[in-house]
Amino acid sequence: MSIRMNRQRPFFLNLLAIRLPIGGIVSILHRASGAGLSLVTPPLLFAFSLSLRSPEDYATVSGFFSSGLGWLIGLGLLWALLHHFLAGLRHLGFDFGLGEGRERARQTAWLTLGAAVAVIGLIGLMTLKGGAA
Amino acid sequence: MRHVGGAHRGLDMWLLQRASALYMFVFLVVFLLLFLMAGPMNFETWRGFFVPMAMKVGSLLFVMALLVHAWIGLREIFIDYVHFLVVRLGLYLAFGALYLGCLVWTVDILWSVK
Repeated sequence: MSIRMNRQRPFFLNLLAIRLPIGGIVSILHRASGAGLSLVTPPLLFAFSLSLRSPEDYATVSGFFSSGLGWLIGLGLLWALLHHFLAGLRHLGFDFGLGEGRERARQTAWLTLGAAVAVIGLIGLMTLKGGAA
Repeated sequence: MRHVGGAHRGLDMWLLQRASALYMFVFLVVFLLLFLMAGPMNFETWRGFFVPMAMKVGSLLFVMALLVHAWIGLREIFIDYVHFLVVRLGLYLAFGALYLGCLVWTVDILWSVK
């Protein structure tokens, strides 16, 4: 059973041929980061429960996030959270009619993308030597 | 049957999505400040965070807001990409069950900190 929809809509999803404007890139990353964070919530809850269970389990969790792979995963999650937050803030602005002009919307899109990457890059550099704080 | 998988409860969802986002933001800012003021982190300090009842309740509300926010967000994605009603409803239900389970689990985690 399929949901009824207008079958006459144009349907073009060649991802290699579509060139997204910057607003579209920020928007799809908002969605992707949200989906990623949603899926990773149960495993994170597991890590949270371990961290509170015993000193040994706490050491396991903090050890994981200090390891090379865990550090990368932690940074990735932080980036997803920050990008999702900033992009959400931008959309909240649209809800109130703020920044809807084409130029301003492009500026805030670049700002969202850049700020999230810059802050996470900075945190990455700061935690590079001694692992996660 | 026509409305069951669709977007006819949009305003409730819209509002809930923003309310949960706002709560998560406020909680995370407060938590981050407490975390930074606590100095070097270890098991005792970390565990000590979750002893006060206010922190247990605040954290539980945070996880609740997170799960609601995540479910509504996934629902948006399913509405866009999953066009077979039975599959879409199955996904709503599967994630609803998973997240409800997570909520109960969170109560257990938080209240096991004495």
